[in-house]
Amino acid sequence: MRVPPGARSGRILLVTDHSAGTVERAPRSGGYEVSRGADCVARLPGPDKEGCAFWQLRLRIAGTQVRQALAHSRLRLSLIGSLSLLLWLGMFWLFIDGFRFLKVTIHHATTYDTVVEGVFAMFFTALMVMLVFSSAILVYGFLFRARDLTLLLSLPARIERVFLHKFQDTVFFSSWAFLLLGSPMLLAYGLVQHAPWYYFVMLLPYLVAFAYIPTGIGALVCLAVVYFLPRRRHHVLTVAAVTALIAAVWIGWSLMAGPEGKLLTPSWIQQTINRLQFSGQQLLPSWWLSSGLLEAALHGWNHSVLFLSVLISNALLLRQLAIYIAGRYYRTAYSQLHAVGTARKKMKPIWLDRLMVRCVPFPLTVRLMLLKDFRLFRRDASQWSQFLLFFALLGFYFLNIRRFGSQSHTVGWVNMMSFVNLTVVGLILSTLTTRHVFPMISLEGRRLWMLGLLGLRRDTILWSKLAFAVGGSLVPCAILVLISDVMLGIPALLQLSHQWTCLLLCLGLSGIAVGLGAKMPNTREDSPPRIAAGFGGTLNLVVSALYIVLIVMLAAMPWHLYVLAQHQSAAEFLADRPGVLRWLHLWLWGGAIGSAVLGILATVVPLWVGLRAFQTMEL
Amino acid sequence: MIELDNVSRLYGRKIAVDQLTMTVARGEIFAFLGPNGAGKTTTIKMVVGLLQPTSGSVRVGGHDMVAEARAAASLLGYVPDAPCLYDKLSGREFLEFVGRMRGLDPPETSERIHRQTEDFRLGEFIDALIETYSHGMQQRLTFAAALLHDPAVLVVDEPTVGLDPRSVRLLKNILRRRAASGTTVFMSTHTLAVAEEIAERIGIVHQGRLRFLGTRDEVAHELRSENLSLEDLFMRITETVAGGQAEESESGASAAGRAEREDTPCD
Repeated sequence: MRVPPGARSGRILLVTDHSAGTVERAPRSGGYEVSRGADCVARLPGPDKEGCAFWQLRLRIAGTQVRQALAHSRLRLSLIGSLSLLLWLGMFWLFIDGFRFLKVTIHHATTYDTVVEGVFAMFFTALMVMLVFSSAILVYGFLFRARDLTLLLSLPARIERVFLHKFQDTVFFSSWAFLLLGSPMLLAYGLVQHAPWYYFVMLLPYLVAFAYIPTGIGALVCLAVVYFLPRRRHHVLTVAAVTALIAAVWIGWSLMAGPEGKLLTPSWIQQTINRLQFSGQQLLPSWWLSSGLLEAALHGWNHSVLFLSVLISNALLLRQLAIYIAGRYYRTAYSQLHAVGTARKKMKPIWLDRLMVRCVPFPLTVRLMLLKDFRLFRRDASQWSQFLLFFALLGFYFLNIRRFGSQSHTVGWVNMMSFVNLTVVGLILSTLTTRHVFPMISLEGRRLWMLGLLGLRRDTILWSKLAFAVGGSLVPCAILVLISDVMLGIPALLQLSHQWTCLLLCLGLSGIAVGLGAKMPNTREDSPPRIAAGFGGTLNLVVSALYIVLIVMLAAMPWHLYVLAQHQSAAEFLADRPGVLRWLHLWLWGGAIGSAVLGILATVVPLWVGLRAFQTMEL
Repeated sequence: MIELDNVSRLYGRKIAVDQLTMTVARGEIFAFLGPNGAGKTTTIKMVVGLLQPTSGSVRVGGHDMVAEARAAASLLGYVPDAPCLYDKLSGREFLEFVGRMRGLDPPETSERIHRQTEDFRLGEFIDALIETYSHGMQQRLTFAAALLHDPAVLVVDEPTVGLDPRSVRLLKNILRRRAASGTTVFMSTHTLAVAEEIAERIGIVHQGRLRFLGTRDEVAHELRSENLSLEDLFMRITETVAGGQAEESESGASAAGRAEREDTPCD
């Protein structure tokens, strides 16, 4: 026995004989033939077979996902497909129109080519920076946080192969969005320019080779940060993101700093191209891409092939470099990252917590639920950062809205923009309620046994979610709409109608999300994005979009038409048509009453349906 | 088969494993006991190559786990306490992938999958998607995958978590038979009864240091003479130094605690 005597009396001493009791045993009769060390090593698969095994794994998983999606998520698939197609077509139309505008405006062929080159270079430089960021984050998730790494790193797989497998996943996930954004512009240019056939053939290899480069850079950056600064990785990301944001805002500001009403004119375009010359540096892959494609479009196939070769060779070089570096440092980086300590912070209530408990005019149980949800929300960066990002971008856009149109003083333009902005706020809110509010009941369902033991009524839970969603959405949405209206200088009557519409949107969208969330909970998932991505979440998004359209049509549109009708030119037109005005008045008052009724119905009916389902829900 | 030589691992400033030196022989079942945050899982992760020691060396079958990770891993089968499987594969597809990675040819893989299916009673659900499995079924599949290539060393973190009594009995029998065939079994567990029943040697680790090491016969003899249970011994060893935990640095304690809670990096 190697227990030191001190152990029996309460003092613990270290053992000194570390092989105590160790006896090498000859195999007995277990019935298995244990592999010998040399055999195990000798029979390990070669690089090709290993690669095949990983590809088979990927294809099998993808096949199952596709089959399941086709069988169970047709609505979601068709929604994603149609929205993506809509986005693509919208961008395609925008670019076709843009290139035609440039061609008509700029008569000098060389200047036109220079402008297009500048547009291409800037577009792809911006995409390259974004791709480096997104790839670095994706690589981090795939290489250091993925669930399957425990398995893969404990198998005798080559570490380079594990890296390559994850790198290929990153290329796929980062490049599809790049293709979605880049292809409409390049196709539109080719069509407007009447480019030869090989321009269109070379588009895909160009885009894929280009996407490989920022992905490779992102992977290398990620490996370097985790290897050298595992504790400071979040700081590095924050500093890089803030720097990029400042640079983007500075560039955007400098481009819009011209006199009002001069935007999108030929002189403004020339000035802009001059300001963006930094994106035309010849060492940038974005320049190789844009120059190569422009050469192809202008029938210079030999130069185009040369640029494509440069892109492909650099892409392959970066890929090999990343594989080599990963082979040497990935395992150590992984180990270092998983041995990093995190500070255990003491959480204290803040003034908003106290305010919520003391001042909100709800029963105590509802207030306590609100407080819990608010604490979970503000301590989860992935939640509040999305709100902040969306609302900050919208706020920035609204604050600068007059700079975006040369017709910013005409009543029609102002009216239309305020109307569009209101709708945009509603649509953004619907995505946020789908992503954050809809999964709340599902997540609460997993803890329902605990809440039930507290004697909390289920309807209290539902009402608290509604109060949280409405309170959390109404304040920022109302402020955003107000900013937009004030910046556009629309009449007070319209501002009032917008605030009314905003209230109805917040109430209805929250009611739909809470009600459907309770009607169609998914208690098997603990990840809000996955819950939101299911059938219930998709349905919530569709119903929310329909609700927005109806509310805007009923509550906001007639007021816009009414204000337009007061304008001198419209008044003259309508003077001879009293029937139209009567219909408008009917729509105005009918819409006001109808929107109020619809808002109440959209809030109450889903909640009632959800409550009935929630009351009988079994865990 | 397993040699830990003066192995230490730091989590920030906290020493999770402190100069651990021990060997586990071929065909031996070794149980590694200790309270939460003691350093068991950290040690296991170093043995299977998921973590690298801050100092010292880990060797499996004579291969250094850092310098010759692939060769060492070829000898190992690893069962984390929380199964890390691919939800969108069937059990058979998962085992086929593991077989290919172990270098088994297709007929041999099929034959071994059949054997493992029998051993772990996976027959009813081997062709169903893993996402439909219960925790116990997933745990049995993980065992089947870890033992598919008849490894020289089996490393198991909490083998009985989520298993019903019948499965626990099944598992204990398989571990005994494997050990009898020459497989080294290194397991960490909180279930003292399992350790007492099947382990040939028991080590108790606390605050990163090995506090106790003895064979089952020695333990039994000592417990009888002192009229103690293994639980009494465990409590006595770990409670004496429990007060020392308060001295742990905040950051290190958090990381080590997290590693023990996770028991696998499936985060």
